[in-house]
Amino acid sequence: MYIIVVGGGKVGYYLTKALLDEGHEVLLVEKNVTICKNTVDEMGSVCFRGDGCEASTLAEVGAGRADMLIAVTGDDEDNLVACQVAKHKFNVPRTISRIRNPKNETIFKKLGIDVTVSSTNIILEHIEEELPTHSVTRLLDIRDKGMEIVEVKILPESTTVGKAVRELSLPEESSLCLLLRKQEKPIIPKADTILQSEDRIIAITPLESEEVLRATLTST
Amino acid sequence: MKVVIMGCGRVGAQLAALLDAEGHLVTTLDTDAYSFRRLPPDFNGTALLGNGIDEEALIRAGIEEADAFVAVTQGDNRNVMAAQIAKHVFNVPRVICRIYDPLRQELYSTLGLEAFSPTTIFAQLLKEKLVS
Amino acid sequence: MEFYKILVPVIGTDADEEAMKLACRLAKKNKAKIWAVYVIAVKRALPLDAEIESEIRTAEGILDHIEAVAEEQDCEVDTDLLQAREVAPSIVDEAVEREVDLILMGVTYERRFGQFSLGNVVPYVLKNAPCRVILYHQPTA
Repeated sequence: MYIIVVGGGKVGYYLTKALLDEGHEVLLVEKNVTICKNTVDEMGSVCFRGDGCEASTLAEVGAGRADMLIAVTGDDEDNLVACQVAKHKFNVPRTISRIRNPKNETIFKKLGIDVTVSSTNIILEHIEEELPTHSVTRLLDIRDKGMEIVEVKILPESTTVGKAVRELSLPEESSLCLLLRKQEKPIIPKADTILQSEDRIIAITPLESEEVLRATLTST
Repeated sequence: MKVVIMGCGRVGAQLAALLDAEGHLVTTLDTDAYSFRRLPPDFNGTALLGNGIDEEALIRAGIEEADAFVAVTQGDNRNVMAAQIAKHVFNVPRVICRIYDPLRQELYSTLGLEAFSPTTIFAQLLKEKLVS
Repeated sequence: MEFYKILVPVIGTDADEEAMKLACRLAKKNKAKIWAVYVIAVKRALPLDAEIESEIRTAEGILDHIEAVAEEQDCEVDTDLLQAREVAPSIVDEAVEREVDLILMGVTYERRFGQFSLGNVVPYVLKNAPCRVILYHQPTA
C-alpha cells in the first residue's frame, strides 16, 4: 500500500516508522526542513518537504496513486484540509485525521473524513476505565452499524443486584452478550440469569442508547 | 442583517466597520484582543475573543441566528474549516471565506464554498493596470 | 593512492566521458574494476519499480556510450542502471554495496539563481561517501 503521512511531529515520526516496518510504501510530508533532514538521514528517502495541505505538494508526491492519507499535524484545521484535498482532488480512497479537539469528531465526519482519531478522547477513555465510579467502558465501535460494544460493571449498591435479566427494561436493540463473574467461566446471559454484585456484562447497543442501558443496569 | 466576521485583521476590521456604519448587526471574532484596536472608536457591534473553529465560540458569537458568516483570518485552513462549520453545521445562509492559495480556493469553490483568493484577484488587477 | 574498485556515476555529459577516461587511467595500474552507474530518479507519482521506457532508453544509450569510451581506453567496465527516488543516496548506497574505494564523477559548470551551483548530488556524495571521491571539472567550452 502507498500511504502518505502529513505532519512529522512525534505521531507522524513513529507512525511513518511503524508503517515502513509493516512493509508499506510510506512518504512523510513535512514543512520543517530540519525534521525532513533528520528523517531522511535516519530512514532514507521517505520524507518530502512541503505543505501537505497544498494541492501542488500532493500532486508532486503522487497522491493520485495513494491508497491512504493520514493527517497527523498538531492543528485540526490543517488535518481537515489535507484530508479534504486528498479526497476531493486526488480521490484518495481512505483519509484518516488526527483531531486535538474532541468536539471536532462529529464535524469532521460531516465534512467527509473517513476516520478520525482523537488522542484526547483515547486518553480520557483510558483514564475513565480506571476510575472505580465509572461503570461503563466502551470496548469497540462498530461504526458502520452505529453500534458499540460496552462493558458494564454491576456495583454492589445497584438495584439490579438479585434481579433476573427478563426483569430489566433494556433499551430496544441492546442486548447482553456475555457475563463475566469472578471464579466462573463466562456465562451467556439468558432471561432467567440473576445478576450479582461485581458482575461484568458485555453488551451491544446502539450509540444513542448507551446512556439508557447504563441507567438500566446500574441504577441505585 | 446579522453578520459574524472571523478574524479582525485589516480586512476583517474594515469590513466590520463598513457593515456597522450601514446599520448591520456585526460580531467580530478574533483570538487576539489586541486585534480589536483596528475597529473604529464608534463601532456599535460586538467584539468577542474566541477561536472561530470552535463551535462554542461560534455559538457565543451568535452564529445560530446569523444571516452571514465571513472568515478572513490569516490561516487559509482555519478559514476553510470555520466556513464549512458555519455552512454545514449551523446552516448559515451566506458563507464567504478568504483562501490565499489559488489552488485551494479553486478546490473549495468546486466543493460549493464561496471562496475568494486575494492572490488571484490582486495579481489579475495589477496585470490589467499594467497592460491596459 | 591505490584503487581497486572504482564507481563512475554518469548522467550523459562531456565531463562524464573525461571522468571515465581518467578512471581508466587510474585503473590500469592495479587492473581495478570499474562500474559506470546511471540512476533514474522516479517521481513519487509513479511506483519505484515503474518502467519508464523513455528514461530507460536514454539511460541505456548513455551507459552504452560510456562503455564504448572505456573500450577505446582498453578498459572493461560493468554498467548498472538503478531506479531511486533520489539520485545522491542511491550512488552512496551503491558505493557501499560494491565496497568501492573511489567514486569518480564529472561535474558540469551550472548556474542556479545566478550563482555557481554544484547541485544536490555532488555535495551529498562528498558528505556521505564511504570512500575517496574525485571530482572532475572542466572549463565550459
